[in-house]
Amino acid sequence: MVTPSTLLWSMFILLAVGADAAFVIVVRSKLATNPSALLLSMFLLVAAQTVLVFLGVVLSTRFPTEDQTGIHRHGYAARSAWFIFVALFMLAAFVTTIPFFPYLSNVAAAQGPALRVPVIAQQFTFLMPSHFPLEQRIIFEVTSRDVNHNFGIYNSKGELIAQTQAMPNYVNDLEVTFQQPGRYTVQCLEYCGIGHARMEKEFTVGGN
Amino acid sequence: MAISTNDSTGRSVMKLYLTSGLVLSALMMLVGLTMRMAQAQWISIQPTMFYELLTLHGAGMIIALVVCAMGGLWFLMRRRISLSAPLAVASWILIMLGVAGVVISVVFGHYAGLYTFLYPLPFIGSWPSWATGVFLIGMMLINMGWMIWCFQILGAVLRAYGSLRGALGWDFVWHPKAFAAAGREPPPPEAFPALVAGLDGLVTGMGAMLLGVALLVRWIDPRVLIDPLWAKNLTYFYMHALANLIIYMLAAFIYVGLSYATKREYHTSRVFVIAWWSSLVFILTNYFHHLYMDASAQPRILQYVGELSSYLTAVPVTAVTVFGALMLVWRSRTRWTLGAVFLYSGLIGWVVGGIGAEIDASVPFNLHLHNTLWVPAHFHTYLLGGCLLFVLGWVFLLLESRSEHSTSKLMCWLIFTLSFGGMVAFLLGFYFGGASGVPRRYATQPLPGPLIAQFATIGAIIMLLGFTLAFFEGLRLRSAFSADRMLWPEDLKVDASLPEDLKVNIS
Repeated sequence: MVTPSTLLWSMFILLAVGADAAFVIVVRSKLATNPSALLLSMFLLVAAQTVLVFLGVVLSTRFPTEDQTGIHRHGYAARSAWFIFVALFMLAAFVTTIPFFPYLSNVAAAQGPALRVPVIAQQFTFLMPSHFPLEQRIIFEVTSRDVNHNFGIYNSKGELIAQTQAMPNYVNDLEVTFQQPGRYTVQCLEYCGIGHARMEKEFTVGGN
Repeated sequence: MAISTNDSTGRSVMKLYLTSGLVLSALMMLVGLTMRMAQAQWISIQPTMFYELLTLHGAGMIIALVVCAMGGLWFLMRRRISLSAPLAVASWILIMLGVAGVVISVVFGHYAGLYTFLYPLPFIGSWPSWATGVFLIGMMLINMGWMIWCFQILGAVLRAYGSLRGALGWDFVWHPKAFAAAGREPPPPEAFPALVAGLDGLVTGMGAMLLGVALLVRWIDPRVLIDPLWAKNLTYFYMHALANLIIYMLAAFIYVGLSYATKREYHTSRVFVIAWWSSLVFILTNYFHHLYMDASAQPRILQYVGELSSYLTAVPVTAVTVFGALMLVWRSRTRWTLGAVFLYSGLIGWVVGGIGAEIDASVPFNLHLHNTLWVPAHFHTYLLGGCLLFVLGWVFLLLESRSEHSTSKLMCWLIFTLSFGGMVAFLLGFYFGGASGVPRRYATQPLPGPLIAQFATIGAIIMLLGFTLAFFEGLRLRSAFSADRMLWPEDLKVDASLPEDLKVNIS
């Protein structure tokens, strides 16, 4: 027999699956092309919903009061369903983000040989070439000569497209395939001393 | 039998903690405003000065809020179990000595290695070596004060509730029938933040001591080399847990304060206990999300642990503490005084900051957000819009309980509109900046950074106006204290689970 709580539970499970599917579709289509709009709208949407829920609960205090035992009866049932929803959504989100992890993959390796480019960061510059080919798999081998830095690549529109830490004693690989020709800028994204904000390096992609 | 809360010593200790914490955070907000104005290019300060201010602001704010949380939680627990006031004052003195050390090293030594410093930067800076030493010693004194507090509260909780098994509520969860039949009761809700802060605070504090000693050895003998990745792990292990624990400790204010405001009771339930167990673990494992950008150096599995654990953190918080708080308010007889408004709005800051954090903790998104303004966006949301509001809410509930005056509707509305309107504008500046890729910790930002900073600065000024009004309103409430009114919370049932000798009347 279908009880109200079974209904509520199935509704929340469906909601979790639906929300997760929407999440995957949106991320798949927008993360590569317009990450800033995607992330900001995702945040604003969920934040606005949260504020609405909180306001709704505030408004409820204007209505006749309800006994706490009564609230517990309904509230605990709703909480269990909400618990399932959040847990399922988060677990599913974890699974669905795994293919998007920016680590060197076998799939990428099958795309052909990569150009390996050493990058050395030091206070307050990057030692690296100033020109790269278009549509070529490049693996930046990033390290540092002094303190921790961060190798952040911005495209000509000022969007942050890739980054990794530059650490003394360690090398971090960062794989990038530039799809657009033009001028790119590397900026340091880990505080490295008082010249931190001035630590940048320009390079071009494509053309001659 | 009811424990009397006419505990003037306990109250004085809490006041000491809250006053020093709030004064420090007020000063640090002015430092923060100065930096945002510099980024808006409305005032001009040298980069050296900017990073000194940033060091001061980061360390000062975290410590200010930790101190508030320590004082509040200590007072709440002292109503139920015996806690030594001199020991609490001793840990406060150590922390203040440490704060003095940090201030001396920054103001006189121009130390600008930041609060979450990464080895070997403190030793390769433009400041003299003594400044690094004084900063490190200052931070270690703060940590010692914090660990003494953790020892004290953990020891007292374990003694009072029957060792770790009792304090964790183990039998209450797994053998509920036998537990109830034996006439036992689980620890009260606020004992769980105390237990988690005590345990996780000690574990991470010991990690910090290890790092601190290694750095001091390196300071004395520059030939000693430390592994930078090891140091980075310990830095984040400690700093992340400490920042996280502030909000978990302040959850105790919600359990007690919101119950008072809504005239309802917050009970320890089995789900509640399990939620706190999971938080106990996640607070320690979440920090891996700070090391996503060390993908080749750090074992790969830790990146997955970081994301999964950061995601699952949302479950106990939203499904238990926040949901429980909403259930308290739902169709209750809440009087929306300033205290209740602050306390309740703090919950919104916690959740919204958490949403920002979850987005940033997703590895594919972190690639676009790591070390951009998105990071200060999320932690300002939950430290300023969550923790500070919890503290203000708590202080106002106490003031309101004893004052013969009450805040007029107009004043309440004015404070609310200015503080929250300004805060939203201030915080949105960080989120927009972060999404547009503007780096954090830049004395001068690339476009559109300065434009966004101008918008955020106006927001910050409006918010500070609201807080200033709240301060004067607090003074007004305090000027009308009635001697025959008890400071809330006054009446409290003794836990049946408490051993007889601990059922003390701490008047």
